[in-house]
Amino acid sequence: MMMGFFVHSGFLVFLGLESGNIPITNVYESFISLLWCVLFVYINLDYLYKLPSLDTFLVPLVTGLSIWAMTFDGGNLTVAVSLKNFWLVAHIIPIFVGYAAFTISFSLSIMYLTQQRQLKLKLFGSLFNKLPSLEGIDRLMWKTISFGFPLLTLGLVFGAFWVRTQNILGEMWYLDYKVILGLATWLIYAALLHMRLVASFHGTKVACMTIAGFCLVLFTFIGTFFMGSKHAFQKVNEQTHIEVLKDFQVK
Amino acid sequence: MSIIVVGLNHKSAPVEIREKLAFNANNIPSALSQFLQKHPSSEAVILSTCNRVEMYVSSLEGTLKFEDILSFLSEFHKIELNYLSSYLYHYNDDRAVNHLFFVAASLDSMVLGESQILSQVKEAYTIASVEEATGKVLNQLFQQSLNAAKMVHTKTSLGKGKVSISSVAVEFAEKIFQDFTGKTVLVVGAGEMCELLIKHLYEEGARTFVVANRTFERAQELANAYQGQAIKYELLGEYLAKADIIISSTSAPHYVIHVDQVKEAIKHRRGNPMFLIDIAVPRDIEPGIANIDNVYLYNIDDLQSVVAQNIDERTREIEKCRSLIEEEVEHFMARLEEMKIEPAITHLRNHFHNIGKEELNRLKPKLKEVGKEDWEQVVYTMERTINKLLHHPAKVAKQEAKNGGGYRYVETIKKLFGIFHHHSNPPHQ
Repeated sequence: MMMGFFVHSGFLVFLGLESGNIPITNVYESFISLLWCVLFVYINLDYLYKLPSLDTFLVPLVTGLSIWAMTFDGGNLTVAVSLKNFWLVAHIIPIFVGYAAFTISFSLSIMYLTQQRQLKLKLFGSLFNKLPSLEGIDRLMWKTISFGFPLLTLGLVFGAFWVRTQNILGEMWYLDYKVILGLATWLIYAALLHMRLVASFHGTKVACMTIAGFCLVLFTFIGTFFMGSKHAFQKVNEQTHIEVLKDFQVK
Repeated sequence: MSIIVVGLNHKSAPVEIREKLAFNANNIPSALSQFLQKHPSSEAVILSTCNRVEMYVSSLEGTLKFEDILSFLSEFHKIELNYLSSYLYHYNDDRAVNHLFFVAASLDSMVLGESQILSQVKEAYTIASVEEATGKVLNQLFQQSLNAAKMVHTKTSLGKGKVSISSVAVEFAEKIFQDFTGKTVLVVGAGEMCELLIKHLYEEGARTFVVANRTFERAQELANAYQGQAIKYELLGEYLAKADIIISSTSAPHYVIHVDQVKEAIKHRRGNPMFLIDIAVPRDIEPGIANIDNVYLYNIDDLQSVVAQNIDERTREIEKCRSLIEEEVEHFMARLEEMKIEPAITHLRNHFHNIGKEELNRLKPKLKEVGKEDWEQVVYTMERTINKLLHHPAKVAKQEAKNGGGYRYVETIKKLFGIFHHHSNPPHQ
């Protein structure tokens, strides 16, 4: 895992040096950065809480997403030069670290449901012995969600400021798919936390809701591109380049 | 130099016999000292557990017989010799070593692979060594038996997997709950099996026990033993929602915990899991309860099948353990042969050095004016020459002795150098 993390970090630095930006300015770079955040958060959590055999669940997920990132056709979408500023970093970084925490809570949920199924069906193989207790997994799920949620909130708040102050999504910014889905993601995790805090909600239902939350995260991140939402990304073509250059020269 | 073990175990003798021959921590020291008074040039260790009583003896001259140990045991415990002998087994030398290694590795235990025997062997050895009843041979033997046992446990899965109903149940509980502190254990029935499970859970950190039993006094008795609370059997339903772990083992001919009750209870548990263990036959807990979300129900068959599976797995490891132990026995026997030759080599060395000293004493008056430093050089050269001369034969003799027949070499050395009256190193060092 550590080896993978270092290779990934190296690749990210390479991407950054090549483009001269923090590598979050196109869809591919964003994907790679997000996966780096997942590994970063995992390694830190593993150090803090010792997450036995979570890598069994996380590695296939990260590998799958990496392959997707490499084959994903982002339609040459990139962030306009004019948007490469403080707000971009303030908006994206907290959201990505939050997403990373949600990815881990998703893996924990799969782990929870696997262990729960083994306990119900009385399947006592080597995986059963390796996995921790349901209660232990549940506690970690709670920790990762409560770590990711404030970061997601922060990222969304910065995004809202950005959109209001610089009018980057137009007048009807609140109809942007990514904005709507982002809000839905926030709501689902807020609901989870609320149920946990107020009704001390545990168990299978929490695991299922966490999975639903993560699906929404993935959809918000990638799915919106299929729906035609560009969310401030724009196609890289001759025209854009000329416009961007003009824009730059005027400034 | 010989090693003998005499003893009986759960396979060779019933408990009535075992208890007659059993020793306890208080009388082992006196038994050892009595034995050594009778047989001064020997070493002894007594291993006495609920499943076995064994006496390991090493005799320096190799003259001690199995019958000597047998008669000592019969005298010490005042049991008829004939009565005893049919239950006892005895092994000599490599077979005795093999037996101890088997015992220590828990291959001869009633519950294959249990870990308690290792500490019992260790304790038996410690008592004997404190009493100065062990010497070169048994020190080496017991230390190596402990190492071999540990090695067998790490290299095989002999000790893996729980092999009792209660430990398997606790293991499952550990897969549901991270820890047992703050968890409520509801016990229905107050039989022996319930008590065993409570004990196990208590050891793992559970502190809140609620006991319900038809006979309230018995419930109270059990609850008091673990600082728990006894409740009236009729109130059982009310306590279900509070219980994280429920153990049921009543002799009721019908179910005592029903689906509806648990469905109602789980509503109040806010998704917290509930673990139910039904060890009663006929069953106490309605099987349909297993289908409720966040509820885990295990009956006696579920637990027993895991126990059987684990025992099977341990049994499959026996061959692997056997070959590991055989290797260890070979190493030990080689070391023993080497040990046999060591006193002879020491004597040979002393013999040569004595001759050297005599010659130096003869030389000194002849040299009129020799300085202190020069004389020291002469003494040093003499010692160095002797050591150099002896180095190779000693090395070869030790090496050859390892392959067996150490005594042959001892005899040859004695004959070649005319060392006829040597006394080997005494034991207890």
